[in-house]
Amino acid sequence: MGTGTKHKSKAGAIVYIVVPYLTIVAVLLAWEILVRVKGVQPIFLPAPSAIFKYLIAMIADGEIAYHLSITFLRIMAGFLVASATGILVGIAMGMSRLIARIFDPWIAALYPLPKISLIPLLIIWLGTGEAYKIVISAVTAFFPVAIATFASIRQVDRGLVKAAKDLGANTRQVQLKVVIPAALPGIFSGLQLGMGVTIIMVVAAEMIGGSSDSGMGYLLIHAGQVMETEKVFGGLIVLAVFGAIITNAQKRIDRLIAPWMEREH
Amino acid sequence: MEIVVDNLVQVFGEAPNEVLALDHVSHTFPSQRFTCILGPSGCGKSTLAQIVGGIEPYTGGAVTVGAAAQPLGTHSVMMWQHLNLFPWRSVIDNVAFGLEMQGIAKAERYERARRLIAMVGLRGFEAHRPPQLSGGMRQRVALARALIMERPILLMDEPFGALDAQTKIVMQEELVRIYEQTKKTVLFVTHAIDEAILLGDEIVVMTARPGRIKEVIKVDLPRPRSQEMVNTPEFGRLYDRALHLIREEVLNALRQQEEAAG
Repeated sequence: MGTGTKHKSKAGAIVYIVVPYLTIVAVLLAWEILVRVKGVQPIFLPAPSAIFKYLIAMIADGEIAYHLSITFLRIMAGFLVASATGILVGIAMGMSRLIARIFDPWIAALYPLPKISLIPLLIIWLGTGEAYKIVISAVTAFFPVAIATFASIRQVDRGLVKAAKDLGANTRQVQLKVVIPAALPGIFSGLQLGMGVTIIMVVAAEMIGGSSDSGMGYLLIHAGQVMETEKVFGGLIVLAVFGAIITNAQKRIDRLIAPWMEREH
Repeated sequence: MEIVVDNLVQVFGEAPNEVLALDHVSHTFPSQRFTCILGPSGCGKSTLAQIVGGIEPYTGGAVTVGAAAQPLGTHSVMMWQHLNLFPWRSVIDNVAFGLEMQGIAKAERYERARRLIAMVGLRGFEAHRPPQLSGGMRQRVALARALIMERPILLMDEPFGALDAQTKIVMQEELVRIYEQTKKTVLFVTHAIDEAILLGDEIVVMTARPGRIKEVIKVDLPRPRSQEMVNTPEFGRLYDRALHLIREEVLNALRQQEEAAG
């Protein structure tokens, strides 16, 4: 077993890669057998094969494409608003002590508030249309983006700033050519957090009573209400894969824009 | 370009907890000479270099660089202990940084940067980023980035401190070569005695905190210098003298720490 556990051999390396996937297959198999042998009601827990069949049907008739694309657009809209405002406010706070002092009590007061509790108020103000879904997700994502941007600008290595000044950079050049690029990796990690909460808030907002007739949140809550449990599972799988793709794409874009980051982590 | 330091005082911190870092330091650093500032850690030698470079403000006394009453730092450039290269910029964009800040067009600044990169022996690495380079190569980038400024004074704050012994020897010889070619006025901060003798025309030995000038040692070794001089009797004599002075100060510093602790 010695060589196998150290996966020095080629076979060992294959085991190392394959085994985690085998566990997934094993769990699905056990689930399928359990449901069939025990005769569990599909409303309570459908078999993986049944879920898969539903999923294929949902993809084939365009239901997934429709709801997923609408959810995706809402996420992008909320995320764009949150990242633009969050980065702007974070940079302004990082570069001016006065602005930092002005925003600080607001952020301290509003950041710990669970943003989902703003939903009733936002529905009163904006109704249950698109504006409400974009605002609730943007407000939620604004905080991690602004806070991460502010912190990473404040934590920029003073040595780099001193060196730039010594080489003749003026204050504006220091900010544009040194502080902002040096803060980019931190800003990107804020954007990743922001994207995570945007996905959560858009799907949650789509679920809120009758606020929507489209989107993955609507699909899930509607399927749940009519006890189509296979559809609920199908929707969950789609959302999980979708989330993984978005997070991965974001990391790739970050590495493309700031390739020096790889070495720093 | 001559640097005149006259009764320089530097105090860090506020009234009850203030620390006297430099205590009435006076010295004239001769033009186009290589002066090493040698002292135990915490003696204020880096502080002195940063004040001369206009990087840190000072508490009292006067520092005059050259004839004109221009702000400090106008005629000097610093090579930092931690190099402070910009990791997001390529080698050529690091070297050309100072020119870019002056608004010099890309074609010209790249041409000048390429010349400096070749001078420090990094041709072919223009597009690499600092994190992709070895310690010694990063030193060369930092040196080129400083030299491209064409300022008459080069300040160096223990730039070779973090290098392994072999790379350090190569970098020292490289620096000696470049100094002998360009005839800059160099202020080189170090705590390594052999480095100070090998590089310097004179060695300013500083006391433990508060930093004062303990003694100035003239180094009469001929130029061009090389690593082989380490074995000459003259080198040995200088080494013994500097070691004796430094040992006294290190012991002083230890005594101070013990008094402060007990």
